[in-house]
Amino acid sequence: MPSQIPRLTPNFSATPRIERRASRIADPVERLRFLRRATSPPRTAESHRTRRRPAGRLARNAGWLALAAAIVLAPGPRPAGSAGTFKQERGLLAAAGPAASPETQTIAPVPERVWRVERSESSEAYSNGLHVDLTFQVSNRPRARYPIYSLAGASTAAKTSDAPAGIVFHTTESLLAPFEEDQNRRLKQLGRNLLEVIRQERAYHYLIDRFGRVFSVVAESDAANHAGYSVWAGTDGIYVNLNDSFLAVAFEAQTGAAEAVTPAQIAAGKALTEMLRFRYGIDAANCITHAQVSVNPRNMVIGEHYDWASDFPFAGMGLPDNYAIPLPSLYAFGFGYGAAFVHATGSRWQGLDLAEQQVAKQAALEGITTSQYRAMLRHRYQDITSARTSTESKEDESEGAAK
Amino acid sequence: MSQHQNSTAVGLDVGTSRIVIARRPEQDGSGDIQYHSQLNAFATIPYSKITAGVLEREHVPHTAIAGEIIVHGNESEKFAGLLDSEIRRPMSQGVLDPKEPESLRMMREILMSMLRLALPDQADCHKLCFTVPAAPLGAEGSLTYHEATVRQILGDLGYQAVAINEGLAVIYGELESSNYTGIGISCGGGLCNVCLAYLSVPVASFSIPKAGDFIDASAAAVTGERANRVRLSKEDSFHFNGFFADKMHQVIGVYYDDMIRSLVTALKDAFAKTKTIPQFQRPIPMVLSGGTTLPPGFRDRFEKLLWEQDFPISVSEIRMAQNPLHATAKGALVYAQSEL
Repeated sequence: MPSQIPRLTPNFSATPRIERRASRIADPVERLRFLRRATSPPRTAESHRTRRRPAGRLARNAGWLALAAAIVLAPGPRPAGSAGTFKQERGLLAAAGPAASPETQTIAPVPERVWRVERSESSEAYSNGLHVDLTFQVSNRPRARYPIYSLAGASTAAKTSDAPAGIVFHTTESLLAPFEEDQNRRLKQLGRNLLEVIRQERAYHYLIDRFGRVFSVVAESDAANHAGYSVWAGTDGIYVNLNDSFLAVAFEAQTGAAEAVTPAQIAAGKALTEMLRFRYGIDAANCITHAQVSVNPRNMVIGEHYDWASDFPFAGMGLPDNYAIPLPSLYAFGFGYGAAFVHATGSRWQGLDLAEQQVAKQAALEGITTSQYRAMLRHRYQDITSARTSTESKEDESEGAAK
Repeated sequence: MSQHQNSTAVGLDVGTSRIVIARRPEQDGSGDIQYHSQLNAFATIPYSKITAGVLEREHVPHTAIAGEIIVHGNESEKFAGLLDSEIRRPMSQGVLDPKEPESLRMMREILMSMLRLALPDQADCHKLCFTVPAAPLGAEGSLTYHEATVRQILGDLGYQAVAINEGLAVIYGELESSNYTGIGISCGGGLCNVCLAYLSVPVASFSIPKAGDFIDASAAAVTGERANRVRLSKEDSFHFNGFFADKMHQVIGVYYDDMIRSLVTALKDAFAKTKTIPQFQRPIPMVLSGGTTLPPGFRDRFEKLLWEQDFPISVSEIRMAQNPLHATAKGALVYAQSEL
């Protein structure tokens, strides 16, 4: 097929952004035109320029880089705000936001008592109406004991735990059929195929399909592969890479798609959230979306994944608007974010602004600029992640030796 | 539809068995797509003035040459039946048949008569996108002759012709909802064409030379029937429900199964070997189209055999095209419109 296969490598460097933009184009021809333009390979001359640019920029900015490195590496003040101050500020800032209305505050606290009514090999029923299908349940590696870091200061863990500390809500970003009766067969088939894939990839603990059916996929005792690089903070401290510390609940849905989550999915999500919160004593502020926790350590920006970057039905889940919580990745580890991420959030999260304010305030207290303060925070994150990598490698080695 | 699209875009599916034209009726490129379809076949009958006059009066597409009348398109089947002979085809296994002496002339005649009928009011230059097969697995020889010849015929008829792979056309016609990411399969007469695309970019494509004609010829050899009769039986009443009404259906079922197995194995092997497959962020859809996919139960049988394999790509769904006979032409039209 000599006519169509492109000779040059297509440009897939920004596919999530391209896909999001394409999904907003209703006209199929316009959409195809946009995609062909957006994925067309760069021209040769441009490629040369692109390749040259970093070297030239690097040379021009060598002085600035050296200065920045000196600031980061020099022994200097660490984030000095005490854990108590951080907790207080975090609480105050979150509570001060307009989203934390009295209405949402009333639904935030401890869920009602939820107990298991019956269990069979294939299902579980709970007192709040929750039904969980167990037929797709699969094991993964057991949940490891995970470190919790102090909200301020040290790069070593303040304590460890092995109980789920929170819930991360995901979207499957999978293909959706119109939610119509005549599409029933296709809806069922899509959900079934999705389950098989999720099971194979050990991606989430629970999946809620379009009909509101709750499927247990990875057993709660095990870790799911749902939030590799991620950061969140609760009143206990900071959690880094949440596969072990947080449970994953996925909705069969797409972020920004015309097909919204169904009322049945919301009702099932609420019942499941209540059950998990009650079972593990999970704080409402630790029930958050993947977009809120996802980070990219390579470029130190948040929002590597965008699922539920906007419109997560927190109220429907019986939770406060947690988009208002300042992002720990920003105020504790100095991550940044781009315009594309802000765009994905729809109406900009209050948590972004509050985290920025917190960084500025803390930098002022330290008597340094915000960029210097961010550099210190990033240094702490790098210390933590390299320590964890080293520990995990040693554990792997000792496990290998034992075998 | 956007303002700058217009009806001068044409999609043309040049298949071994059928030729389908797709176009939108309105000048701005809007309105429901209209399809015109003809068998890509012809039959010869002895020349007589009376016969020629009747054919002319009845608007039956034909050409009179050297003591013969060649009837082409849909009517050729009837005449072949009347004369108890096989229809002849300009194409075999997805390309112009080198063994058919009239292939070039007939291809030109059929295309010309169809395009005149479908586009009577548009004499100016049109952007026309026509389908070409992918190279068969294991015989990645040049398809240049076929593509260049069809392009030349269309150029001579006044069209700006661009080619598109059949499988990719299925994707452009059916997979808008996944941003043109997925696997398009077209099972026609001569070939099963497959294409995997990511965000509209074709990543891998191939064809296998087992399709409808293979089933017809193989079943005909076993039953002693004419291939054309096997085809009619296959198209009229064959289905995959596990019970066969007669010997013919039982034999057709055997060769259908063989074809589907070959396709599924080829899919698995080809994608496992392709090194350029991107990391998909989610399972991708697969769409089946073409006349050979029409028997009831085909999709279920295909799906069952695919799941038996350790398929290297996560598939979200396997579904039939909205209109399996027209999906390729529709995709070619969408591509032609996007080129305007």
